[in-house]
Amino acid sequence: MPSYRLQTIRPMAFSVALHPAFLLVVLSLKTSRSEVLGEPFQLTPEILTVSTESKLQQVNLQWTVPNLTHQELKMAFQIEISRINTSNIVWVENYSTTVKWNQLLHWNWKSEIPLECVTHFIRIRAMVDDAKYLPQNSWSNWSSWKEVSVQVSVAPNTLLIFPDNKLLEEGSNVTICLLYGQYLYNVSCMLQKEPIHGEQLDSHVSLIKLNNVVFHSVSGTNIHCKAMNATKMIFGTVLFVSKVLEEPKNFSCETQDFKTLKCSWEPGVDTALVWSQQDSQSYTLYESFSGRRELCDHRNSHNWQITDDSQETYNFTLTTENNLRKRSVNLIFNLTHRVHQKAPHDVTLENIDARKANMTWKVLSRGNNYILLCQIELQHEREVIHEHNVSVHMSASYLFSDLEPDTKYKARVRCADANHFWKWSDWAQKEFCTPEAAPSQALDVWRQVRSENGSYVVTLFWKPLLKSQANGKIVSYNIVVENQDRLSESEHYSVPAPALGTQLSLDPCSYKIHITANNSVGVSPESVMVLSNDSGHEEVHEKRIKGTKDGFHISWEPTSGDALGYVVDWCVHSRDQHCDLQWKNLGPNTTSTNITSGAFKPGVRYNFRIFEKSMQQKAQLLEKQTGYTQELAPLENPEVTINNFTSNSFILSWPSYDSDFQSAFIEGYHVYLKSKEMQCHPKGKRMTLPDYWVLCEYEIKDPEQKAFTVENLRPESHYEFLVTPYTSAGQGPNETFTKVMTPDENSNMLLKIILPMTLCVLLIIIACYWKSQWVKEKCYPDIPNPYKSSILSLIKSKKNAHLIMNVKDCIPDVLEVINKVEGPKTQCIVSGNPHNEDVSMKPPSSVPTEDGSSGSVPFFFFENFTYDQSAFDSGSHGLIPGPLKDTPCQLGLLTPPEKLLNVLEKDYMKSLAESPTEETSLIYVSQLASPMGGDKDSLATNPPMPGHCSEYKMQMAVPGRLPSLALSENNSLTSEILLGQGEQ
Amino acid sequence: MRAQFPQRTLLSLALSLLFLSMARATRGCSSSSPQLLSQLQSQANITGDTRLLLEPYILLQELNTPTLRAACREYPVTFPSEDTLRALSKPHFLSTVYTTLGRIQHQLDALRQQSPKTKVFPLLERAKWNVQGIRNNIYCMAHLLNHPLETPNPTEAGSGASPSTTTTPSIFQTKIDNCRFLWGYHSFMGSVGRVFREWKDGSSRSRRHSPRHSLLRAWRKGASRIRPSRSSQSPMSRVQVPW
Repeated sequence: MPSYRLQTIRPMAFSVALHPAFLLVVLSLKTSRSEVLGEPFQLTPEILTVSTESKLQQVNLQWTVPNLTHQELKMAFQIEISRINTSNIVWVENYSTTVKWNQLLHWNWKSEIPLECVTHFIRIRAMVDDAKYLPQNSWSNWSSWKEVSVQVSVAPNTLLIFPDNKLLEEGSNVTICLLYGQYLYNVSCMLQKEPIHGEQLDSHVSLIKLNNVVFHSVSGTNIHCKAMNATKMIFGTVLFVSKVLEEPKNFSCETQDFKTLKCSWEPGVDTALVWSQQDSQSYTLYESFSGRRELCDHRNSHNWQITDDSQETYNFTLTTENNLRKRSVNLIFNLTHRVHQKAPHDVTLENIDARKANMTWKVLSRGNNYILLCQIELQHEREVIHEHNVSVHMSASYLFSDLEPDTKYKARVRCADANHFWKWSDWAQKEFCTPEAAPSQALDVWRQVRSENGSYVVTLFWKPLLKSQANGKIVSYNIVVENQDRLSESEHYSVPAPALGTQLSLDPCSYKIHITANNSVGVSPESVMVLSNDSGHEEVHEKRIKGTKDGFHISWEPTSGDALGYVVDWCVHSRDQHCDLQWKNLGPNTTSTNITSGAFKPGVRYNFRIFEKSMQQKAQLLEKQTGYTQELAPLENPEVTINNFTSNSFILSWPSYDSDFQSAFIEGYHVYLKSKEMQCHPKGKRMTLPDYWVLCEYEIKDPEQKAFTVENLRPESHYEFLVTPYTSAGQGPNETFTKVMTPDENSNMLLKIILPMTLCVLLIIIACYWKSQWVKEKCYPDIPNPYKSSILSLIKSKKNAHLIMNVKDCIPDVLEVINKVEGPKTQCIVSGNPHNEDVSMKPPSSVPTEDGSSGSVPFFFFENFTYDQSAFDSGSHGLIPGPLKDTPCQLGLLTPPEKLLNVLEKDYMKSLAESPTEETSLIYVSQLASPMGGDKDSLATNPPMPGHCSEYKMQMAVPGRLPSLALSENNSLTSEILLGQGEQ
Repeated sequence: MRAQFPQRTLLSLALSLLFLSMARATRGCSSSSPQLLSQLQSQANITGDTRLLLEPYILLQELNTPTLRAACREYPVTFPSEDTLRALSKPHFLSTVYTTLGRIQHQLDALRQQSPKTKVFPLLERAKWNVQGIRNNIYCMAHLLNHPLETPNPTEAGSGASPSTTTTPSIFQTKIDNCRFLWGYHSFMGSVGRVFREWKDGSSRSRRHSPRHSLLRAWRKGASRIRPSRSSQSPMSRVQVPW
């Protein structure tokens, strides 16, 4: 923001006060002199013209001294300027000059207030001030006042602002003047966005003074005003504030070829403004000895052609100029002292080997006596590793030594005049690479030994060689394993780079292992390790150590005095399968070391092993140390199991932690038991919880104890427990308590009784099952089948036909031929008698016919055991009377009906399929022999009718009116009765 | 300010593409009046955006104050208002726009010469070419509709010397005048774009009835309608163009 300080216009009081004092002094001197030299004389000046330059706010005064009689006379003039009225003198100035006869004299004055705004008045008086003549003792009379004004007319309702388009320098002061037209009032002005206020000179003029104006924009700083009564009209002016022209800095000239001088400088800020107010500042070079002046092409440099070879000294003046200011800098120099040497050329590197290289170069020389100073640098990876200066005449060479094999270098050289150093030339450079050399350092090796199936599994590790040790790209690693027990045996292995280890499977012998690294040139010195029979089997005590956040301090006790050194090894990832074995080689006199690693983590156990290396390169395990950089509270609680659970006690037991997964050394366990109104064991701590809950805390200080017996419990009570380990950092997580309920006191007793009883019953059942056949045979024997009886065969063989009645032998009284009757009418005709066990006789009963009559139809039926073999086998060769209590086919019950029903369901499915509408009882009647067998229609219409069971081969025709008919009233026959009939 | 430059660049790019496609028209007018009308409308709409010229000018000349912005937005009487444009018959409209654009072109050129080595200089240069392109399209439109403008053939952009700048006693006033001119230029182009859109809408409606040559008919209708009118024979009497 511009920081214009508004200031009221004040008369130039200081000047006004100072000048009369000065004049008094001068006059007193003059008076004294005139008294000595003679009478004074007075010459009154006469103003000829007073003109103005509005843009510059300048008043130009022209006058003469009319009565001058001398050809030349030194005179003093005093000029007074007043503003607004003649009494308001704002400027008094004395001006001394030598006046010639009839000469027109000039003087000008710049007003700080634009001349358009106020009227000025000017007058002049003179006094002779020449030592050759008598001095005047007083001023001449004043000339008459001359009015100075710039006439502007302000139209009504308009505002004129002066100066317009004023160009000024940053930091200067400016007075803005406002001329109001008629009817215009209440004018407010703003500089960009900031309001500015001024002083009212009269009703039509006001002044605004801005101090220390700042640069705002190349397009100028806008001042705009607006009158309250003319809101639509806007008036304004633009102040073009230029940045201050800066003096050129670091002006210098130099030559490379003695033909051109290149002069350069820092130009400073550009002071250009738009609207054609000011161009960028110009730069001009002037050389005083030659008198040449050249306008510079660029704002920061210029090439000056050397036209005169003999000119050695140059005196340059660099001038920069804009509309407001001019600045100059000067430079004088001898040309030979400003020689900027060209960069060396033909830079080559010769005879490069692994350790040294020779660089040669040439320089541009100006004669035999011309000596150059050259600077040589050797860089590796942008770092200067070698620097040297040499004097050079025409060409030179330099040998770089102590180079590293297989390394890229950059060699560079620059030169300057040795006699008059001015400036280094540009660098000339060349890159080169040294060849490889054999590795210079033995590998740092270590091993891990474990037994597996009676042999050694040896894992060898080595660290990669440093670049300075490898001297090239390592191609492979050679391993030679010598069997110390059988010296003739040795095995060679080659492991290609970049492997950093390998695994060997060796017999349990002593071995000497040699490891070397190979590059394309040669082999490194060998590293030797000896493995004895007991390697990997050493048992030593493990010591606990406490680490810090930085690492571990390991110390040990040496066992022998002739140790070659010590090795401390550890795994970076002790929890993982991938161990990432690390080791540290230590000197023979060392008994402690600090192991630091960024990989160490809090809550991770690190196991360190300290080995002592003997003179025979054999490593013996000295100590094991284990610790944490920071111990943490356990992350998890053990999984607890409950044993020996009784109504009064139980035992809590939990497994061991894997030590590698412990976040700290476990110092013990806390067992918490929680229940209502519980009594704690004296060893426990009791805490009362809300809702009458009691918490008992027991501490197990032995980390190896993995069981805890909870006693004195009440039967049938709820208990909750939690087992958590604790370390130095705290105990495990507060997990949910496990709930248990103690059993009833008698439950065990009941269990003891019921279980044996149950077993006994089971045994009896099994025994009964096994002996069921025997029981059956004893208690319920099978009825013998007479046809299968041997007696039958005996009778047949004897041809005694009288014993068993044969159908052929029967002479029926009535013979009725049974035909299949078409139509629904079914009729059963019973004739004949049953003669044997295979025939079951049923009494006749009334059968409903199609016409609805329920007449008494005689019929006979057979039981055919060949038809239902399974029924026969299962002893179900009886007939079910069926649900047909009312049916005419009353069947005798020989076997339990459900057995037969099962058989029927099983074997009469075919009939069921043919007669889907029939019920099971109908299937049953299919065993009946009916003279109208196969009449399905009759089945459909009269399901309970036994008629359609009659399509069966009649085995025997029995007369329907047998005495056994009397039995039909009974409606049920026992097998015993039937058997009796059969016997008859 | 920073966010405006990419938008302006996009606008300029779009306009340049339009201008490229229109370059063909300068060699020979397009035979498709709907396409030409559409192109004219797009050109007018794009050039009506104040971010193209006015805003950069305001920022460059430090006119970014509420008072000065308000002063800039006084619509110069030198541009025909939208109502005036809408009231014109189509031939007179084209003629008026063509003439006004010619004067705008000269004024842009003068403005460009006032602002050398500034950020708006290339924008003014581009704007001048764009105006030239629109003029050519208007010329073609009039030619296509059988009512050639009473003006010389389309001129090459940049040809023809711009009139010498008049004396500018007050740079402040010149800044305000230029600002108003640019505001008027954008507003005028916006108005032209809206009138062209009305043409297009009317053309679409007419095409639904008679798909072919509807614009031509509409033009002829407009032309025949204005012939009897005295005022329409002298459109400049209604529109004061200052240059």
